[in-house]
Amino acid sequence: MQLLNTLLIGITAGSIYALMAIAFVLVWRSTRVVNFAQAGMALLSTYFGYEAVSRIGSFWVALPVAMIGGALFAALVELVLMRLLVKHASSGPIAGVAPIIATLGLLGVIRSVISMIWGGQDLRIVAPISNNGFTINGSTLVFSPLKLLILVVVAILLILLTILFQKTNLGLALRASAHAPEIARLSGVRVDAVRTLGWALAGAAGAVAGLFQTVNGNGNFSPDSIEFSLLLVSGFIAAVIGGLDSLLGAVIGGLFLGIAISFVLMYVSSGLFFIAPFVILLLVLFIRPQGIIGVKAGRRA
Amino acid sequence: MHKSKKETTHLPLFILGGVVLYFLSGMVDELRVYQGASIAVYVIAISSIILLTGYSGQVSLGHGALMAVGAYAAAVLRIEFNVPIILCFVAAVLAAAIGGALLGAAAARLSGPYLAGTTLALAVGLPSLANQFTVLGGEQGLLFDVGFPPLSLGEEFTQYKWFFWIAALAALISMWSVRNILNSAYGRAWRAGRGNEVAAQLAGINTARSKVLAFTISAGIAGLAGALLAMTIGTVSPSAFPLTLSFSLLTGAVLSGITTLGGVIIGAVVLVAIPEIADVVAHRLGSSESVTTNLPGLIVSGLLILTVLFVPNGPVEQHRARKAKHEAVNKSSKKKKHQKQ
Repeated sequence: MQLLNTLLIGITAGSIYALMAIAFVLVWRSTRVVNFAQAGMALLSTYFGYEAVSRIGSFWVALPVAMIGGALFAALVELVLMRLLVKHASSGPIAGVAPIIATLGLLGVIRSVISMIWGGQDLRIVAPISNNGFTINGSTLVFSPLKLLILVVVAILLILLTILFQKTNLGLALRASAHAPEIARLSGVRVDAVRTLGWALAGAAGAVAGLFQTVNGNGNFSPDSIEFSLLLVSGFIAAVIGGLDSLLGAVIGGLFLGIAISFVLMYVSSGLFFIAPFVILLLVLFIRPQGIIGVKAGRRA
Repeated sequence: MHKSKKETTHLPLFILGGVVLYFLSGMVDELRVYQGASIAVYVIAISSIILLTGYSGQVSLGHGALMAVGAYAAAVLRIEFNVPIILCFVAAVLAAAIGGALLGAAAARLSGPYLAGTTLALAVGLPSLANQFTVLGGEQGLLFDVGFPPLSLGEEFTQYKWFFWIAALAALISMWSVRNILNSAYGRAWRAGRGNEVAAQLAGINTARSKVLAFTISAGIAGLAGALLAMTIGTVSPSAFPLTLSFSLLTGAVLSGITTLGGVIIGAVVLVAIPEIADVVAHRLGSSESVTTNLPGLIVSGLLILTVLFVPNGPVEQHRARKAKHEAVNKSSKKKKHQKQ
């Protein structure tokens, strides 16, 4: 029973990491940038969701509001910051680190502005359904209706995303611009617009991750909550495990990381919560540096 | 880059700098002396980033964690074994350098965003390890007391001035060492590897080893900065080394011009001055408390973005590049005239 519990908790947490990893992968594929501001964007979207909940009172309205808000904000960032970056800082000794530094700066800006608007104190979003575990044969699981709901919603989003990427012309344009931007441009794909769309999709995915991470925890969140630093690190690690270039890899990486962390916390020590992702990342990089879904290019971005 | 002149180590220059600082510390008030100590700590920490990122081309978001390693090493030795303070600082350098060598061995296989993410995970994870071992004092942390200034310096000599002296001396020594390392064969190897790794390998440079070495040295310097930071705060605790510390260091390095050691003081002064400037601005505007407390963070991050966008290689390098371009234009126009004749 403990084994099952650990597994289920891991899968739930892992599905949230998977969403975050998908956000990383979408941005990486569209602009070859690892967006370290992704957690800040997820946090901002969570505040959008909070505003919607406190005005309208329904979590089910808050979710799309947060997604749209997150998507618009991410698109804005791509349009303004990323295009300026490509224009001004794509040569010289700093070119390699400039995007990293710029997105970190953006993370700082988002955090400070959020604290100015909403204050630094804890806010709270109440989960739409109970987070008390199911009871089977008299014993209570940690797995709850809320966790089941998270799994279902993430699964639906993944299916929608797969349909978008595999079955639509837009998806074809997204894949073409990621793999060969020059050729895509020659065949009439508006690569710049597609890039912005990639960021917007990432913003929406991050928004769902942020909201779910909040309600799956104790419902409290603040600009400085460690939950979001953890979401940033876990999402990144999950994306790296999956190869950083593959959406399927991101999902597998997220689930793998979630389950691995869950088992470490249960069977080794619960105090390793923050260091476990780092150790897992190091192990993955040493054992299988090209990620689970192998890409030939290796890790030399 | 014409370096035909015989390379000098510039020792007299650094000694002169020390003398100037000595007289300066006697003329300003206590708060300024304390800020001077903070600036000296940042100078050391930022120079470690410049060495690593600017010269060897590796990004680290985990230098806050390496500073923590140095600080904890110094504090544990001080408390458990009552080691003399100078040896505590040496131990801080060694401990962080060992950590850096391990991290560097992993880092040499990574680059760009992968390295940034890995070190980021370290910065989030490592400080929390302090809660796992009672000898590290948990969330409360450890006291780190360097002791009173020696009586021979006189009764007037304050604690803060003592901090400043230690930090400034450490800063001068480490700046002098870093400068000379960067101008040595190692520094050239790092720059070569940063510019074009394959070309550097063809020229006979073992780029992997050279990267690990850069990480080790940089970590050692960061460890020294960590111990000094702990000295100015008086304690070592996980909360003294938050993720934002690593980000601030990177900001300082970018503001200084990440490829020029000479600008390092700019970044350090800006990092120390910004909270004060923000305070004044917020009071002028009569804004609320939540704005006042977050304005420094906003300014630091905003500056970081603007610098990367518009002065990507730092103010010093920018000025140099503009001058070089100007000269080149002059030369070529002269040449054209010459050809016409």
